[in-house]
Amino acid sequence: MVGIPTVMITVFPEETRQAGPPRAFHPQNFKPGNSLGGPHQVELQRQVLQDALRRWEAREEPGRIWEQPYPAYTADDSWREAYREE
Amino acid sequence: MPMSKRCIPYTPRSRELHQSVFALVSTAGVHLRGQEPFNIEGDNSWRVLPGDVQAEQLMVTHDHYDHHDADEDINCVFPIDRLRELAAGGIIGGVASRHLGFMGYSQRLREIYEQVAPEMAKLILRSNADAVLMTAG
Repeated sequence: MVGIPTVMITVFPEETRQAGPPRAFHPQNFKPGNSLGGPHQVELQRQVLQDALRRWEAREEPGRIWEQPYPAYTADDSWREAYREE
Repeated sequence: MPMSKRCIPYTPRSRELHQSVFALVSTAGVHLRGQEPFNIEGDNSWRVLPGDVQAEQLMVTHDHYDHHDADEDINCVFPIDRLRELAAGGIIGGVASRHLGFMGYSQRLREIYEQVAPEMAKLILRSNADAVLMTAG
């Protein structure tokens, strides 16, 4: 059966680890709704996208999630409490 | 068998990045403004988004994350403009002729695994996409 090479950008790395996609990229501390960054943060979005595509490109053992911090991104962590309560 | 113990599905890439046409598949609840919105209480349906879709034609229906930022700039969760810029710059081979929007909040996981995901994969495989970028979750 034919497949297609994929990469996912995740803001929930632990859930992603359990789901087990072949390639994943986690921009650290990005909140849900900001997978690529904040609104109109064009340079940041572009950088995150390019880094996720580098994960797509890398030939390595499937299942690895690459993590990357982005100092240009700031969001408070209040959303984490809301998700813990759900 | 718990889902976490299933095999990791893996298709190696057969082209270089700059030769590869990318499709976007998102579970952030993205759809065209004219399409039926997702049922926020649980929905296993998907929406087909045309390859030439414009950012302002897209909206989000989802009750399980704060999508104010995506409402303002869909690229936060569905980076269609950023993808087009990379294609114009020769970084990727192009942007696919179709993309898919899904909501991803559902209790019917077996149906997703056994029916929905394979159907969505077929739609992508039958397009000109060589690769998929997935977002949300």
